Amino acid sequence: MEKLSSQQITRLRHHLIQNGSDESLLSELVDHMACEVEYYMWIGLPFETAIDKAMLEASSDAVGTLQETYRDALTLKQENMAQASLDDIVFETRNKAYGAYYLRQNYGNSLRDALLGGAGFFLMLIGLISGLNQGKWSYMTLSGAMWLVGISCVAFSGFSWFIQNMKQKYMVVND
Amino acid sequence: MESSTSEFLRGVLKTIVLKLLAERGTMYGYEITQAVKERTKGQITLTFGALYPVLHKLEQDGLLVTKSVEVDGRLRKYYSLTPRGTETAIQKVSDFERFMDAMRALLFPPSSLSLGHS
Repeated sequence: MEKLSSQQITRLRHHLIQNGSDESLLSELVDHMACEVEYYMWIGLPFETAIDKAMLEASSDAVGTLQETYRDALTLKQENMAQASLDDIVFETRNKAYGAYYLRQNYGNSLRDALLGGAGFFLMLIGLISGLNQGKWSYMTLSGAMWLVGISCVAFSGFSWFIQNMKQKYMVVND
Repeated sequence: MESSTSEFLRGVLKTIVLKLLAERGTMYGYEITQAVKERTKGQITLTFGALYPVLHKLEQDGLLVTKSVEVDGRLRKYYSLTPRGTETAIQKVSDFERFMDAMRALLFPPSSLSLGHS
């Protein structure tokens, strides 16, 4: 059975894109059409006739109906929609396992850790410098207290960041 | 015939796809349309517009898994059943058989019954 060349396949791909096929179905439809063309050629049609016939079947109407059916079948149903976050909607037809979904979902936590860590580190520094300037170290002074608060903030954010990292590493993506 | 076939088909498309995959293990989209055409001697032809949404939906529901393989310079997506898909296939086929029995009983009522009433 004669196989299509890469140029001929590119032609099919262009035809599909022009008629409104989107990314999620494109490569599959290209293969489908290519199989059809090859079949028509196998039963004896010349290539041009075969490709015209296949393209006629994949007209913009047909592809449009397909996209519509596809959206209806696969998008979030109304009842799930109520509890879906913006992230769920954005990632509805995208690869959640890749990592961006996780990053977005945990943006709030990451922001809190970063702020606490930053502020804590700053407090530690100021506490240390002013403590050293006084020449005598005591936890009961203002600088000592700043040091203590700072170090606990840094410890908390560091710990929380670590936990989150571990979660991501061993997370099972249920999708 | 054409329009009512596609109307009936919509309800059983999932069953057909699951049944074929249960028999053959692994198939790609075009192969499924061809198998349906062959078995029904051309009476039923699945269009790609009907088939692919169902395949993707079944995949989303966790009944199918896919594997993309490059064949002749293009990507081909092979579908196969998950354990849950296999269960569903058996269930759907037996449900559909019962439904067909019921339809047959509806269309061709046993003559003894109609005699009894008259």
